[in-house]
Amino acid sequence: MMPLYKFNFFGMDASLVIAVIIGIGFGFALERGGFGNARILAAQFYFYNMRVLKVMFTAIVTAMLGLFYFTWIGWLDLSLVYTTDTFLVPQIVGGLILGIGFVIGGYCPGTSVVSAATGRYDGMSFFVGFFFGVFVFGEIFPLIENFYNSTPMGRVLLPEFFGISHGMVVFLVVVMALGAFAAAEWGEKVRFKITGRVKE
Amino acid sequence: MKNLLNGLSTPKKLAAIALLLGVLALIIGNSNNRNKISVNANEIALSTINDQDKISVNTLADWLIKGNADFTLVDLRTEKEFNEYNIPTSVNIKMEELLSSNLRRNQKYLFYGSDDIASAQAWFILKSDGYKGVYILKGGMNSWKNQILYPERAAIITSDDSLKFEKIKEVSLHFGGTPGIQISGQTTNTAPTQINVPQVPKLSTPLGTTTKKKKEGC
Repeated sequence: MMPLYKFNFFGMDASLVIAVIIGIGFGFALERGGFGNARILAAQFYFYNMRVLKVMFTAIVTAMLGLFYFTWIGWLDLSLVYTTDTFLVPQIVGGLILGIGFVIGGYCPGTSVVSAATGRYDGMSFFVGFFFGVFVFGEIFPLIENFYNSTPMGRVLLPEFFGISHGMVVFLVVVMALGAFAAAEWGEKVRFKITGRVKE
Repeated sequence: MKNLLNGLSTPKKLAAIALLLGVLALIIGNSNNRNKISVNANEIALSTINDQDKISVNTLADWLIKGNADFTLVDLRTEKEFNEYNIPTSVNIKMEELLSSNLRRNQKYLFYGSDDIASAQAWFILKSDGYKGVYILKGGMNSWKNQILYPERAAIITSDDSLKFEKIKEVSLHFGGTPGIQISGQTTNTAPTQINVPQVPKLSTPLGTTTKKKKEGC
């Protein structure tokens, strides 16, 4: 029965070892996907290389279908899978700050680690910068604590929020992803026809 | 049909599979009912008989003094009662919020109410839902008050008993209680301060707080 950790299949210490192994696997997959390269990542925001969208949506759809069917079979108790509580306004603001940093620096936190690990200097400097950001956040936290904890909504899940079945959400996300894939392919072709520019 | 499949690229095949699974999910609807739980009645009955999940107030006092902290102490009484007095390091969780309050299955929880009833109910709810480390404070807050905060000894006792009471007295004073000696139905306090009506001591240790945001996830 999953999640294995919450059902006591292993303790805290073993979970840390497993986390490191999964982390290395995640980093490896990101690197192989080309996500250690800031040009590819930033290209997403200028719509001339849609690789980020394709990889991310593929990951989302794969994980979602896995979770849904594992739960249906009875291997997984989805209610025990951790989801972050929603704090609407602070999370929107935080998302925007992260997005701006992503466009400027060409990395998000995880991909900057991947990039630094492959020896890229821009990745390393981004990595240092993100720790500096963490430090600044920690220092000013008392000032923004009220805002940080504002608009709490608890555990919000789409099926409950919209009052539709779980399967309906799964179906809609799959359709959305396939639509996005088709649109991305089409967009890249059109752009190539107009500019003659091959995607990086 | 075979030609059609061969004509498709791998991404398109995968997309077709995803779409198929998506449509199937639509038909399945909801994948689970998280409020439905199965109970192993035999196992629960056995652990009730063995009394293995009950912790006495003296053991708890001992743990607290030694700083043994591999368990979370949970107060099931009302918020008002909790704020008036609670056992140091405890957190207040309402019975109806037990299952939604993110208790971890791999941690130990020691429950207490005014007596044994609320904690026994909490014990049953959590045991049925597969929690393993659930314990009851025997006698609840009433026992804590009688045995730790305001322990009494008979007026005439042996020297052996007297030694024992000295120990109990120390524990009591540690938690801000007032131990007393029973003389024909009346109690004389042996603590320096005289309090006639049993009054709960002021909280000296900070209350345990439930964290607003969990340290889990990314």
